[in-house]
Amino acid sequence: MVDKSKIGFEFPAYTMVVEKAKIAEFAAAVALKDSKNEIDPIYYDEEAAKQAGYKGIPVPPTFMTSFFFWADGLMRIMKALDVDLSKLLHSEEEYEYFGDIYPGDVITSKMKVVEMYERGKRDRIGRFVNVTVLETEIINQRGELVVKVRSTMIER
Amino acid sequence: MTITYDNINIGDPIPTYTSAAITRTHLVRYAGASGDFNPLHHDETFIKMIGMDNVIAHGMFIMGIAGEAITSWITHKNLRKFHARFLSMTEPVDRDNVENTKQRATIIVTGKVVKKYEENGEKRIQCDIIAKDLLGSRKLDGFFIVALP
Repeated sequence: MVDKSKIGFEFPAYTMVVEKAKIAEFAAAVALKDSKNEIDPIYYDEEAAKQAGYKGIPVPPTFMTSFFFWADGLMRIMKALDVDLSKLLHSEEEYEYFGDIYPGDVITSKMKVVEMYERGKRDRIGRFVNVTVLETEIINQRGELVVKVRSTMIER
Repeated sequence: MTITYDNINIGDPIPTYTSAAITRTHLVRYAGASGDFNPLHHDETFIKMIGMDNVIAHGMFIMGIAGEAITSWITHKNLRKFHARFLSMTEPVDRDNVENTKQRATIIVTGKVVKKYEENGEKRIQCDIIAKDLLGSRKLDGFFIVALP
């Protein structure tokens, strides 16, 4: 994970369609509800969403994390960074929102390694904590950048 | 009352949000919804293999709960940025020992307005946010920025 030649490494772009039912499923999960009937109707009822001022059913603020996993993101970063699952920790996550995402949108995720560094004190075998920062551009079918994601991963 | 730039002040708290106690079923539901099937979050045999006591919640699940806290206060179509730093692990409630474990599994999200400013022709506020469990252990801190009318 300290291999700084990986800075600038671009993962292959991944394209997927935003599924309406997955939005309600995600909204129910983060609201700790057992049924979609218990969540805010903007996440499953297009009329309710329009009345709330959206063009269609919106996605919850952290929904983009599912694009990462559907793109097999965990396996891809483990391979690219040469680190195993039990050592990888998610340290920080940031979303910058530029536009909306609606059901049926065709979303392309472009992820790259933007920073790699060591931080903190040496551990008992003399290593620092290795930090990797990934940046992902989430682009819709019109070529618009809708969200920029910045994820910080550490190897413990 | 509609929240506007003029009627909100630096130091104003955001409404406190309290989650249900997180169960293993909630973790599995979140795993399916997000696609994060890291066995750390549901498979006790894997947990024992790596020398831990319990499955733990996904950091992104706690961030999702914090997101729910934000959007239950303010419409997220005006959300411009959301940042979280993960601070500690969260263990779910044990069904056979609810009384002694529900506090570690219940998330409280609080926050306050720290900045008011104009950017990109918009009136924006920045709020600090923090998620803790009922025992006071900090799970996540961060901030979010929203544009207001």
